[in-house]
Amino acid sequence: MDSLHTYLFVALLLFCIGLFGLLQRRSLIGMLISVELMLNAASINFLAFNRFLGPDPAVGQIMVLFIMGIAAAEAAIALSLILALYRRLRSIDIEKARELRG
Amino acid sequence: MSFPILSAIMLSPGLGLLAVLFLPRENKRAVRWISLLSAGLSLALTLYAYAVFDTTAKGLQFVERVLWVKSLGIYYFLAVDGISLPLVLLTSIVFFTGVWTMWDLEKRVKEFFALMLLMVLGVYGVFMALDLFFLFVFYDVSLFPMYPLIAIWGSTRKEYGALKLTLYLLAGSALVLPGILYVYFQSGLFSFDLMEIAAAGLPPSVQSLGFLLFLFGFGVLAGLWPFHTWSPVGHVAAPTAVSMIHAGVLMKLGAYGVLRVGMFLCPQGLVEWSPLMATLATVGIVYGALVGLAQTDLKYVIGYSSVSHMGLVSLGLATGTLGGVDGAVFQMFAHGIMTALFFSSVGHIYDRTHTKLIPELGGMAKVMPRASFFFILAALAGIGVPCLASFWAELLVFINGFQVYPALGTAAVLGLVVSALFMLRVVQRTFYGEKNQKYAAAPDMSAVMVIPRALLAGAILLFGLLPRLMLDTIQSGVAPLVELFK
Amino acid sequence: MTAVAPGSTIVWLTLAAMGLPFAAFLAIFFVTRPRLLPSLVISLACSAFSLAVAWWLLIHLRGIDAPLMFQALWMHGGQASIGFGFLLDPLSLVMLAIVTSISFLVQVYSLGYMAGDPGMAKYYSFLSLFAWSMIGLVVASNLMQLYIFWELVGLSSYLLIGFWHQKFSASQAGKKAFVMTRLGDLGFFLGIIVLLLNLGDLSILGLNSQAAAKLSPALLTASAVLVFCGVVGKSAQFPLLTWLPDAMEGPTPVSALLHSATMVAAGVYLVSRLYPMYAASADALAIMLAIGTVTMLLASTMAMVARDIKQVWAYSTVSQLGFMLMGLGAGSYFAGVFHLTTHAAFKALLFLCSGVFIHHFGTNDFFDMSRQGARHLRIPMVCITIAGAALAGVFPLAGFFSKEAVMGSLAELDQGIWLWAGLLGALLTAYYTFRLLFVMWRPLQPLQDKQSNPGHDDHQHSGHSSFGYGVMSAALIVLAGFTIALGFLGDKLIAFLHWQRPPQIPHHTWLLVTAILVVLVGIALAWWEFGRRGAAQEGFLRRFPALETLFARRWYLDDLYRRLTDYVVYGVFSRLCTLNDRRVVDGAIDGVCRGTVGAGWLLSFLQSGLLQYNLFAMVLVIALVGIYFLLL
Repeated sequence: MDSLHTYLFVALLLFCIGLFGLLQRRSLIGMLISVELMLNAASINFLAFNRFLGPDPAVGQIMVLFIMGIAAAEAAIALSLILALYRRLRSIDIEKARELRG
Repeated sequence: MSFPILSAIMLSPGLGLLAVLFLPRENKRAVRWISLLSAGLSLALTLYAYAVFDTTAKGLQFVERVLWVKSLGIYYFLAVDGISLPLVLLTSIVFFTGVWTMWDLEKRVKEFFALMLLMVLGVYGVFMALDLFFLFVFYDVSLFPMYPLIAIWGSTRKEYGALKLTLYLLAGSALVLPGILYVYFQSGLFSFDLMEIAAAGLPPSVQSLGFLLFLFGFGVLAGLWPFHTWSPVGHVAAPTAVSMIHAGVLMKLGAYGVLRVGMFLCPQGLVEWSPLMATLATVGIVYGALVGLAQTDLKYVIGYSSVSHMGLVSLGLATGTLGGVDGAVFQMFAHGIMTALFFSSVGHIYDRTHTKLIPELGGMAKVMPRASFFFILAALAGIGVPCLASFWAELLVFINGFQVYPALGTAAVLGLVVSALFMLRVVQRTFYGEKNQKYAAAPDMSAVMVIPRALLAGAILLFGLLPRLMLDTIQSGVAPLVELFK
Repeated sequence: MTAVAPGSTIVWLTLAAMGLPFAAFLAIFFVTRPRLLPSLVISLACSAFSLAVAWWLLIHLRGIDAPLMFQALWMHGGQASIGFGFLLDPLSLVMLAIVTSISFLVQVYSLGYMAGDPGMAKYYSFLSLFAWSMIGLVVASNLMQLYIFWELVGLSSYLLIGFWHQKFSASQAGKKAFVMTRLGDLGFFLGIIVLLLNLGDLSILGLNSQAAAKLSPALLTASAVLVFCGVVGKSAQFPLLTWLPDAMEGPTPVSALLHSATMVAAGVYLVSRLYPMYAASADALAIMLAIGTVTMLLASTMAMVARDIKQVWAYSTVSQLGFMLMGLGAGSYFAGVFHLTTHAAFKALLFLCSGVFIHHFGTNDFFDMSRQGARHLRIPMVCITIAGAALAGVFPLAGFFSKEAVMGSLAELDQGIWLWAGLLGALLTAYYTFRLLFVMWRPLQPLQDKQSNPGHDDHQHSGHSSFGYGVMSAALIVLAGFTIALGFLGDKLIAFLHWQRPPQIPHHTWLLVTAILVVLVGIALAWWEFGRRGAAQEGFLRRFPALETLFARRWYLDDLYRRLTDYVVYGVFSRLCTLNDRRVVDGAIDGVCRGTVGAGWLLSFLQSGLLQYNLFAMVLVIALVGIYFLLL
């Protein structure tokens, strides 16, 4: 069980769920959550590779810390954008937010 | 190094452009004067160059060659030979008279003259540059001002005309650029120097494809049938001076491109594709005249006559004989002057009567004797009356066309009758007969505005009576070229 | 051939005589046009100078035994090099004298005829232009130079026919003349090219001496016939004959100068110029003979029914030109040239006399003139009678001798039909000429008051000054003198034309008698119908209305041409090309443009603005690429 493949599989699963959510959700909050899931999948990958292949144990964890930091910042910006959009449209449904008319 | 006269000719519109750009918009007088002065300067320099040009020497003269980008092999390479010098002369005459003709323009004067100066700068560049890179850049510089010039100052469906013209010409450029790059890489020299590439020679297969690219790429601008329909529409829409430069000079850029780039770099390609080119040219000659018969708009008539006359240029080039190419180059010059005169007179008539529909006019010879005289003179030149410049050109083209392609030559000569019919029909309907009372009081050209037209008319007569003034020059440039087709 | 040294008196004088009329044209047209008097002085002075030089040359060179040639390079390009110069031999000297004389006389005559016309200065500048181009044509040293001036002559004809261009019919006639002759010139031009490409030399002497030897018979005939096409156009021969009657829209002196005496004779002159070349091709001569005969008969029939005095003379000109070509085609160089010479004199006289009547009575209808008292104008009446008798071939006037020469050459042919056709032509000529003369002399219902009828007015003339009448009469009298005298110079002319070695010309007494009888029959018929007291003045053709209409409508040739241009050129070719331009060429381009716009419109559906679609597409592509690389 304790092999690289297990971790990678879990990360892949998590990534796919996130991707599916990103593509399927019409609510901006849902999409944000999906993006967070995908970021987490990337974090797991970093940790797994670092754990099994990397000579220096710290590098992967540093990367993950960076990702968490960036994710937090991203969430803050995204949420404020969503809030701004909500104030204008009274909705966070992206169907309502589009202006291009193909 | 002697005085760089070619750069001076080319930069005089450039200087004018800079000066115009820094002038305040309101000072229309100064804008006009500066444009006229820069045009006059380039005309004077060109006349000087034409006078000192040595017609006995073969090859390039007034050479200026400086390395510009070493890694790509781009040179600032200006020179003229007997082929390009007459065209430079044509450009400077038409430019000068065009600026003078537009003296009374009131709408956005600064922008108009700035764009015109830019366009002429590009035209000079094409005729003088012997580096493919510069040639192409100047080529596009001379094309793009057409769009605003027509779309802003034009008449009669101007947006449509401007757009059609621009799209057509850009499509032509889109063939020329790959052609240039193709030749550049296939030559293996990594030099854009036209002379070097020509001297090294290209493999036959490259010449064949390259020539086709250049023929159709530049041919669009030369009004080669069936890619001609932009030209009547564009002529009709454009304001007077732009029509003059456009039909008088820009169409020659196309023919010059076919000659200088296509035939010079790919002589074998010409030999291979000559029948195709001659056929298209002959169809254009007859077809242009026949369509011209059915037109009711003066400018459309001239537009289609241009198609017919430019067909003669292509036919002359296609023969690849000394006389044929001589005739083609002479025809470029003669047709340029003649069309400029046409548009210049029609421009006056249109300004005064606000119509250029033939059925509405009539009896103009009584109303505007001067404008009518210039139009009729141009019409006579157009139908090949001897002792007017284009007669000699047509003569040479017909003789050589008939020699190389008897059937096509005969058909082209037949076009002469049709063109006589349609030109005289226009003259009769517009200038003879009862005058339309509506326009009976329209004023004729003032003495000052006669001068530019008289200059053009004088050139037609001068080179018609003394053709050797031009043919000796042309022949010195063409003679080395036709050796390539042997 | 003798090349003349440049700089000798002959060269300078000849070049000056060639160039001065052009200088006069430029000076009058561009400088002195607003002022009449200087314009007239310049034009007349230059014309008089050319006249003097022409006669001086004729007298000075009367004994030459080799042509004089001078040539400078005018243009060269490729294998074509074109000289400019002159070739003086008996033929060109004679023609030069004819052209300058009539040109000068017409200029003098026009002082009276055109007096008061607002465009008089312009008229004189055009006359000078014509004089220049015609002189250039006559003395041209090579065929290309001849062609160039041939075209310029056509141009001046166009300008002069349409001189009163506010009249629609005048400008129409000018256009028709230009286009129809241009049609013939097409063949001429191609013929020149064929000769140039096969011989490499276009000098007239070279053509005459070498063409027969160096060209294959087929090629020789082909080029001779092609060149002859130009003659058909310019000399208004069948089938291009209908422009000449229409050309009568021009001022009458112009008709006298261009459309009877000189310009239209240029075609005949061209054949004479290249006569040795033509003589080498029996087929070309046969074609010439046939066309000349057909034209002569057709035009004579048309002249029989015309009521317009100028039309009668126009048809008669066409017919006489055909007659000259018959003479040339029958193999007699002298006969053609002789008839050309005499015809120039009497036909110019006929037109100038008619001009006096037209000027005076303001109508072109000779029945009308006669009613208004034309016979009271003594000088023109006498002159027109002399000229008419000369045209009909009455002894001892000029036309009699030259016609006799042509008939003599026709009699030499194997087939008798040509001679019979010639005699029939002479009969018709005598008939229509005397029809006109009798009508003029014997008005049916003379009017008492000489009120002119402005409805038919040819042009705006202000008053009939005695000066004008005097000037016109002077020109008439000079020409009448020529008409009487020229006939007796036949022997001198034949010797001169053949370099003092005239060929033996057989005389047929029976032919002489027959010809005189035929003319008398024609005159008698005309007298019976028009001249005798109590004649109804209606031709016998009145009894055959179909025939009369046929003749009056010019054998429907004009209708045929109008239909051809209207339906075939305009209706089919021009229309089809225009449609093709609009629909096919432009249609294709506009189609491409619409296609581009449409494609953009279709593709725009992909840009829904919903981010997730783009994202989905991205993922899909990445996945596909991934799969592709994995499977590889």
